[in-house]
Parts: sequence; structure tokens; C-alpha cells
Amino acid sequence: MYGWHLKILRVNLTTRNVTTENVDPKIARDYLGGRGWAIHYMYKDMDPTVEPLSPENMLIFATGPLTATPAPTGNRYMVVTKSPLTGALAHSNSGGEFPTWMKRTGFDMFIFEGKASEPVYVLVNEDQVEVRSAAHVWGKDVHETTDILKAEISEDARVACIGPAGENLALMAAIMNDKHRAAARSGVGAVMGSKNLKAVVAMGNKNPPLHDAEGMRSISVATSKNVGADVKKGSNMRIYGTSYVPQVTNTLGILPTRNFLQGTFEHVHNVDGDALKDNYLIRHTPCYRCPLSCGRLTEVPDGPYKGKGEGPEYETISSLGTGCGVSNLAALVKANYLCNEYGMDTITTGMTIAVAMEMYEKGYISEDVIGMPLKFGDHDAMIEMIKLMAYNKGFGQDLAQGSYRLAEKYGHPELAVTTRKQEFPGYDPRGSQGMGLLYATSNKGASHMEGDVAYEEVFGVPVKENPHSTEGKPELVKHFQDSFALIDSSGLCVFVAIRYVFDKNRMIWPETLASMMNLTTGAGYTPAEVMKAADRVYTLERMFLIKAGSGPEWDVLPDRMTKEPLPDGPAKGMVAELDKMLPEFYEKRGWDAKGYPTIEKLMELELPTG
Amino acid sequence: MLIRVKMIANYRDALPPGHKHGVIELDVPDGTTVYDAVSQFDIPLNDESVIVLNGLTVEMNTPLKEGDTVTAFSAIAGG
Repeated sequence: MYGWHLKILRVNLTTRNVTTENVDPKIARDYLGGRGWAIHYMYKDMDPTVEPLSPENMLIFATGPLTATPAPTGNRYMVVTKSPLTGALAHSNSGGEFPTWMKRTGFDMFIFEGKASEPVYVLVNEDQVEVRSAAHVWGKDVHETTDILKAEISEDARVACIGPAGENLALMAAIMNDKHRAAARSGVGAVMGSKNLKAVVAMGNKNPPLHDAEGMRSISVATSKNVGADVKKGSNMRIYGTSYVPQVTNTLGILPTRNFLQGTFEHVHNVDGDALKDNYLIRHTPCYRCPLSCGRLTEVPDGPYKGKGEGPEYETISSLGTGCGVSNLAALVKANYLCNEYGMDTITTGMTIAVAMEMYEKGYISEDVIGMPLKFGDHDAMIEMIKLMAYNKGFGQDLAQGSYRLAEKYGHPELAVTTRKQEFPGYDPRGSQGMGLLYATSNKGASHMEGDVAYEEVFGVPVKENPHSTEGKPELVKHFQDSFALIDSSGLCVFVAIRYVFDKNRMIWPETLASMMNLTTGAGYTPAEVMKAADRVYTLERMFLIKAGSGPEWDVLPDRMTKEPLPDGPAKGMVAELDKMLPEFYEKRGWDAKGYPTIEKLMELELPTG
Repeated sequence: MLIRVKMIANYRDALPPGHKHGVIELDVPDGTTVYDAVSQFDIPLNDESVIVLNGLTVEMNTPLKEGDTVTAFSAIAGG
């Protein structure tokens, strides 16, 4: 078989038993790879009601068929597990170098089960698979851990690991790879910490052969040339990463500000991409073989926030920055570095602190409980909260549970801006209606990375949609959810996939990607079959959610979005009109009026009906 | 009448020197449209750009009013 190894590594951390399994070629084809394969195995092998931080939860690292191929941005992997933050699915995507190195071990997917009796890391060097003691790196941050493990194993190895936040089971803990890249959301790092698994180290030279290497090279060169042409024209992504976006969302009035109390931030110029470029940018830093190169190395050279690292990206600016009312860029950059070093999702971290700030200002949580004043805009207090969260100390113990549980504990659940208990990313759905429908129905709780219709509503890619209109949004959201399931399963990055691999006519988007999948695997997909497989993945995930207790009753938005109109900016007076879109969305997905996939739909997708 | 044109990120390069945070003020005649306001700058006026009036999606032939802000940015990538 081409493209896929058709091999899975399964590590039982309790028994330290290591096994390898072959993948049925039909399953490989039907579920694509990456996120698709992962949900197939989780649904088949795990009770969806397991406690997420128990040994019974599965932690899956999954590459796709395009990972480690010449496809531009074919450098991604997915971390899939049951989320301790949401109780729903976690599937977090990351790039860098680790995913390519992981594919070169000769396995498409790693499954970790059970719980080690003491801290361990797992080394996978082709057929040499070892569960080793991690006693010497337990307690170390992500950078230290990565350096120590590479020094003792090989500079040719690549490391994915957790920091103190994951060890301490903070529900916003990320799994970091190559120091700066994050499989960030939904507490995947806490699951890794609960298994006493500090790190996974990958190396090797086993790549599966491509079905048509010459054809793949040609389509990849052509796509990379299109990216290169945009870079020559001055692509924002190369210059700014995503840090230019605060000016865009501020212009549209959908920039999360002070826990969504506002949609515009008066100090946006202090924390935007130009301020970052003019003050702290050193150079851009690509993921492996990426022609777009949106990562950026930055440095705060001196002062109290001195440090060096990557980012921040837009989602960090809109959470730890504007979400908390913070306008001190050096402090914001430092906060981002700390999250990377401690291994934390900046969105949930920032928006949880934002909720705490609102609760403090309203008198719902006292200074005594917090240990200090915690007003919006207090950047030093924001940084202190990050440290307390990572180390689970003092008020950090409450913060480490995420905003939903924090707001509930102190009697004001209405202040948590979440769906399925996960914090919103940086697009206020009151002024971006499609995003509201996406957040409400996402299989991983609020997330832009599960069908980011902001591409059309905000950025005009591939076509511009009016963000204030609900018309056509159910079909658009469904199409984006499936497209992202496809991208996440293939091993590509959405940044290149949406702009350069898909055609501007939505209906024929998958053709290029289907070609890449066929040249890689020889599976002979038609575009319709690829999209059907993506629908299969999305629907099976929904079935998992229903069995896990995170079904249609959670397809809701918080009152702040549906009952409190935006007070400022171009979307002033608007609320999220979920009710207008949800019934049609269910219909478009082939789900019944209550939000359950119909038997007919399950049969059409060849999914289990029981 | 006075209107403002705002360019975001790489589109700022199309503005003359002296702009503040990518914003310049222009004195334009009555009847000036969104298209008129941005067409004097070297940016693509096709689907490579997103152009909004006071943050709202409008037709390019929409006439401007005193105090309006027309904003343009590249549609090249997302966030």
C-alpha cells in the first residue's frame, strides 16, 4: 500500500506492553487518516463514558496520508482523545517537525492507553520502541524537557511533551512539539499528564512509498508556486503570521474584548501585528517544508518581560490580550512565552482569566480569594494567574478548571462564554453569525478550527459572505465542518488548504485534495467520495458525543451571545441568532429535528447504527 | 466632505507617508463611492481584497457620507 504505512503502534502504559497492528485497507480508505482513523478506533475500542483523566481514556497521535509527503504543509498531526475540559472529543492539530518525524517511524498512528506507575516517556525509533523513565524531566518546562531528551537521545529526534500544566492536570494543558508548536485545545495535555506520560520522542527514516511520486511532485510544486506568488506580493501570513487579524476583527466589531463585554478594543494598535513587527519580530520560522512560513521568532530584549520564543498569534492576542483588556504588548508576548513553556492553550487560559477579571470587578470573587486585585487590563496580574494555573497553586486551582467550572463555582455561570464548556476563540458570533452556529455544534466545543467559516465571513476566502446574515449559513457551516475534517484527516494545514488547494467554487474544492490523496495512496477517490468520507468522520464523532453525554442538548450558545446585544462597533445591537439556523443545519447534516443522525444517514455513510 | 480610508497590514504600503495606524483622512466630493475612495490606491480591486464601509459588507457603488470609514485588507489568508 502507498501513502499510509497501515501500521499502528499501541502502547499500554500500565503494563508497558507494546504491540503493533495492521490497518484494514478498507478502513484506511473510508476514514482517510489522522482525525478520521482516530475516531474510528476510539469509537470501536473505548467506552465513550470513560472518565477523561482515567487510565481507560485513549490518547491518540495520528498522522495523515499527506503527512511527510511533498504536499505543501504536509507536516501536520492530530492529537485525539476524550477531553477533560468538555467531556466531548478533543482533536487538536499541530505542525512543526514532529509530525513528519513521527510518520517516518514507520507508524501512521500511536495509541497510548492505561497509566504508567511513574513518569515515563516513550521513544519510537522505527522498530525500537521503549518506555523509559522520565523522572529526570518531570517538573521541567517544555523547552528544558525538549533539550534534555534530544541531548540524551539524538539531535535527529523530535519531541512532543507536556509542561508543568499537563503534569498538574490543568484542564487547559497543551501537548507541545518542537518547543513552540501546540496541539493546544481541550486539555489534551492533562490527559497525557494523567497517564504519567511526559514525552513522546520520534525518529526514523521509514516513509511509505508514494503511488505516483512524479505526479505528486508536480502538483506540489505547482501549489507551492501559487503560495510563492502570494509571498512575493507581500502575503500577510509571511510577514505577520495571524497577528494582523486584530485590526480586521476590530474593524468588524467582533474582537473579543474584556470577556466579550465589547466587540472593539480602544488600544488595538498597541497589540496588533504592526506593533509586534516593529518592536519584537526577529524572523519568520516555518513548519517543515512549508512555503507559507507563518510562524515568527520574536524577542523582548530587555525589561521585566524579557524573553525569546515564537508568536503570539491572533488567538493569543484576542484572549490573553484584548479578552483581558491587556494593552501592554511586551507583557502579552511574555504571557505567550510562559504558556508555551508551561504547555498551555492560550485561548482557554486567557478567556478563563478574563472571566475571573469580570467576576472580580463585579464583586463576585474577592481580592482575598484571588490573592491580589484582578482588574481588566492588569497585565502583571494576568501573568501571575498563568503561573498559578500551571502549578495549580492558590486561586490557580480554580482557574485551572477552565472558565465554565470557575464561573459555576462562584455562582455566576452566565459569565462563562463557552460551548460544551470550552472557551470561544477570537470571533464574536454576534457579528459573525456563521461562527455562532459553528461554535454551538462543534464536536470539540467552541473552536474555530473545526470549520472556520470566518474565512468567508471575515477574510473573504474563497468568497466573501456577509457576516451579519444567517442566510445560507447552515449549508456553509456543514461544508466547512466536513472540509476541516478532511484537512485534519489528510495531514495538511488549513492555512494552505483553504487558500491554495481548494478552488474558489466551493463545490469543486476537494478536487485538488482528492488528486493529492490519490497520487499519494492510489486509493482512487472521487471528490465526492472524499467529501463523503469527511461527512462519515464528522458524523461518527457526533455519535461519540451523543454516547458520551455531550449530545444535542449542548448545541447552545451562552446568554451573553443570544440575549445581550453587542454594545459597540459595526455589529452594535446584534445578538447571535442560533435559533434561525439550527433546524436547517440539522437537516443539511442529515440529522433529525432533535439533532440526532438519522438511521438513513448512518446507513448512507456505512456507520454503525446501534 | 471628509472621509477616512483605513488600510490593514500589508495594504498600508499603498498609503502615502504620514498616516496614523494605517488611516488617512480625505476630502472628497459628494457622490464619491466606496469604489472611488479605494481605487486611487494601489491595491487589487477584485476578490483578492476585502473592502468594508464602517465595518459593514456593502456594494462597491455605495455612496459615502461625511465621516464614513472605508477599510481594505488582503483576502489572502485567514486567522
